[in-house]
Parts: sequence; C-alpha cells; structure tokens
Amino acid sequence: MGVVHGQEMVLNIGPQHPATHGVLRLQVKTDGEVVSEITPYLGYLHRCFEKHCENVTYEQVIPYTDRCDYLASMTNNFGYVVAVEALMDIKVNDRVEHIRVIMAELQRIASHLLGLGAFGLDIGAFTPFLHMLRDRERIIDLFEMTCGARLLYNYMWVGGLSHDLPVGFVEATYKFLDYFEPKIDEFVNLLMHNKIFIERTADIGRMPKEVAVSYGVTGPNLRASGVKWDLRKDDPYSIYGRFEFEVPVGEGGKGSVGDCWDRFYVRVCEMKESIKILRQALASLPKEGDVHQSLPKKIRPPKGTIYKRTESPRGDLGYYIESDGTNIPYRLKMRSPAFTALSVIDEIAAGWLLSDVLAILGSLDIVLGEIDR
Amino acid sequence: MNEDQDKLIAELVEKGLAGDMEPINEIEDRVLRSKAKAALVKAKRSAKPQETEDHVKQVSDKSSIDDKSLSENLNENIGEMVNEKFPGSLVNENTETHIQLAPDHWFEIAGWLKSEPSLSFDSLQCQTGIDIGENTLEARYNLHSMKHNHCTEIRISVSINKPVIPSVEQIWRIADWFERETYDMLGIEFSDHRDLRRILLPDDWEGWPLRKDYQVQETYHGIEVPKMKEGWE
Repeated sequence: MGVVHGQEMVLNIGPQHPATHGVLRLQVKTDGEVVSEITPYLGYLHRCFEKHCENVTYEQVIPYTDRCDYLASMTNNFGYVVAVEALMDIKVNDRVEHIRVIMAELQRIASHLLGLGAFGLDIGAFTPFLHMLRDRERIIDLFEMTCGARLLYNYMWVGGLSHDLPVGFVEATYKFLDYFEPKIDEFVNLLMHNKIFIERTADIGRMPKEVAVSYGVTGPNLRASGVKWDLRKDDPYSIYGRFEFEVPVGEGGKGSVGDCWDRFYVRVCEMKESIKILRQALASLPKEGDVHQSLPKKIRPPKGTIYKRTESPRGDLGYYIESDGTNIPYRLKMRSPAFTALSVIDEIAAGWLLSDVLAILGSLDIVLGEIDR
Repeated sequence: MNEDQDKLIAELVEKGLAGDMEPINEIEDRVLRSKAKAALVKAKRSAKPQETEDHVKQVSDKSSIDDKSLSENLNENIGEMVNEKFPGSLVNENTETHIQLAPDHWFEIAGWLKSEPSLSFDSLQCQTGIDIGENTLEARYNLHSMKHNHCTEIRISVSINKPVIPSVEQIWRIADWFERETYDMLGIEFSDHRDLRRILLPDDWEGWPLRKDYQVQETYHGIEVPKMKEGWE
C-alpha cells in the first residue's frame, strides 16, 4: 500500500482550552489525524516575575514565588528560601527543617493528585479526578490550618517560617496519612490498571533518556524515562539526607520505558515515597525550637551569585540569584521545571494522533503559571 | 611560589603519577593542594599527548579517587584544559566560582564540554542573561553532568552595542528556549539559532525589559501600558 499524503491543516489548540492546563496555545500541523509539527506559543500568563523581583526586597519576592507554580506554592517558597539562605549562610534549626520537609512532601502529594487527576480528565476519565480532588482537599485543609491560606501560603520565610505548627497538626497529619495510604491502591485500580487508560497511554509518547536529558526535562518525567535522578538523593538540601526513601523510575510496566503510562506510574509511586518521608519526619519532629530563631533583621545578602536547585513536584526548580549587596535582588531568574518539560513536546508528540498529543501533554503535568512566570 | 614548594609539588606529582593520591589529598593548605593537583593533571596529559582513543578510555576507566580530584578543582581543571585546547578563549584566569569565556569559540567549547568523557556536561541546567552595567551584557550557563554529578558555571560577556553570542541550541536542545527567553528579556542575539523569536512577550513588543536602562513603551496597540512602581524602601 502506498502512503497517501493529505493536505496539511493548521489547527490551534488553546489558548482557552481545558486540556492545556492554563493558557497555552499549541499550533499543530496535522495531516489527517496525524500531527506532524507542534509549535507552542507561551506568554499568555506572563506576569513579569523577574522584572518585579528587581524592584522588591528579598522578603517581598516570596509571595511572587507562590504565584508562579500555584499548585505547589510550598515547594516554590522552599526553593527560594533555601537559595537565599545559602547566599547569606543562614542555618535554621531542626524544627524548622522538619516542618519544611513535612510541608514540601504534603505539597508534593497534593500536586501529584491534581496532576494525575487532570491527566485522567484529559483523556476522558472524569471520576478519578473527583476522587483525587477530594483527597487533595484534605491536604489543603492541613495547610489552611497551618497558615490560613489554601493555595498561596507565603509560609516559608528566609531563616524560618511564618507560623509554628498549630496544636493538633501532627495528629491531623497522621490521621490523613492513615486515611490516604490505602486510597492510593484505589487510584491504581481505578485508573492505572484500567484497560481503557492503558490503551490510551502505554507506548504513547515515549521519551528516550538522551532526549530527556538534552531537553533538560527533570523530575518525574525524567525518572519515567529510566534515569534515577532526584535532587533529594543526589544533591540533598535541607535534611533530606536523613530520611530513607526510594527513587522510583519508569520500568515500562505496560509498554516501553518513558511512555505516558510510566509518567503516571512514577507519580503514583512518588506519593507512596512521600508518605514514607512524612512518617519519618513526623516521628523525628523536635518538640522544641523557635521558628523565628534565625530570622535575619535585614535581608542583605553579601555580593555574590548563587544557583540553587531543589526538587519541586515537577522537577528541578532552580533559583539563580545575583546579589549586589543591597536588600533588592540585582537579578533573579527562576529555572522552572515545567518550562523545560513543555519544550520537549514537539520532539515526543510529533507523529502521534491528535488525541494522543493531549494525552502526552497531560502526562507532562505542566503548570502554565510557572512556564510564563 | 618558592623553591621548596616547587620541590614538594614535584615529589607529590611523581607519587600521584604512580597512583598514590593520598599525600596530595592530605595537604592542609588549599592553595598548595590545588596547585599540586593542577600540576598532576598537566603531567598526566603531557605523558600521553597523542593517543586520543586510549586517553578517552583511560579517563572513563579512572579510579574513584581520580574522579574526585577532578571534581574538587573542577573549575580550575576546566580552565586549564580550555586554555590548552582553545588558546585565548579563557578571559579570566581566576576560575574559583565560574569560568569566563570569550564568545568566539563558544560553540566548539560547548561541544567539547559535552563530549569530553571526564567532564560530560550533558545537561544545561539554567541559562540566563544579566545586565552587569558599564554597557556589558553577560550570558550565564549553569552546566551539570548527570554522569559525574558535578556542576560548573560559564559566563560570556558581550558589549551592549553588539550583543552576539554563538548559539548552543544544537548541543543542548533546551538551550533553544532558554536562549529565546534571554533574547526576549535582554536582547542578546544568539547567532545560528534556528528559531530566534521572542518567547514570553509579544513579537512586536519594544525594548528589552531586563536591561537596566529599559523604558516601558507608552502604548501597545492603543492600550496604555501601566507603569511600574518606582522601587520600594
């Protein structure tokens, strides 16, 4: 049989489209149902994060970081304060470190829940999304209990935290973990081993190792391609070195390594690992310790440059800060993991069917607030 | 450097060549230790100048101690190797925190940084630009090696009047978008970039927002552009 080449059609997906996870326009060239080229157009959510940072003090940057990746504000705060603390050589006490890790891991679970739910939604599975949002709500309640905010926390400060843990937080978190742990198996049965889901994701959108590394893809997307790379293990920051946990990698359980199914699988496994970390951190949480102990009176880092990476739910979140010795950053660049993850879309999604492109996009778990900043 | 030190380093290099790295690693003085290691690297290289294939093999088969010694003085070693392979490209001899390069051979150097087995910087972590004043823009590259788990930072300065730097998007694919962003924000042109367009701002936006002398345009398609607040205390 010969190959029939139809006329190419240019199609816009987005900017306002529920499957684009924000405001993103994908210009796709299609040949029938097959997509031959994808050009992403960004910037619809650009809020001049980096320009603003050159006009506000170091403390005032923290609320901005919340709004970049609005689904993982805690880890965004975390990365920023770790970077500024490294620049100023501030050490925080053990209680603060433990609380930070607890918050970051809770945030990781919450972010993965929404990411996985939305992924299911993208390919037509509506029910799991509601299940996952229901459980995510409980984590958000824990955050609300801690700092009053449900999405944008401004919780981690340079040298400490805005509040200590409220009375009853530890018990409530234990209760949540006991409730949530068996629920993961429910998701697994509901979606991951669902025949329709497997048909839609296994072997679709394979991302080979070399492509992932060259495109700077990090986090669960990179691990799904079989690269065992997790900053919490390989370049430990805060107190992650003290906890025992595994780094799950994609094994091609239903298809081949690095397909959409693997990206889903790795995130599910990561939630289990986060629970492990949470249990250890809660058990070893020191009773004493003032969360405002190391707060500097004035944040004036010495002249210098730092590039500090932390593991956000979406991958390596880097802050590049150039300080000129004043209380305002001279230059602040945020290296966002979703930005690099989206850049690979043309490479891995070209050649697939139009409906697969949305599955691939959903599996990358991007947040446009962080891409456009 | 005085004669005693010279002698000591020569001794240590001899031991190091015989495979005994301990005396070098035991030196307390940081400067002396790094000098000794640098001398050792030089001696090793001059011992086998031509056998490229063998050399490659040797490097990848290196013992863990040797790998460590490279990582400890990574910037210094890279600086020396660059100086040897691409004479004149190293702008600043001081490589303590970063490596300052001239733009001319950046593409070749980048390719070499990625392919050299003892370095294998396979991942471009972050690329950014900065207006450092005095009519100078600087592009900065944070490189990382998945294999050896080491990092370095490369800086390339260009004049604001002719900000052109060779593009490395064909070496690290992510540089494609990173460079577009730097172009978008600072107006650094990356020559031979296959698709150099603005990425976050609209194509017809005027000016380079992250330059320190940036003036916001008055109107955009008839819409008044809101002014930024003039700093905060």
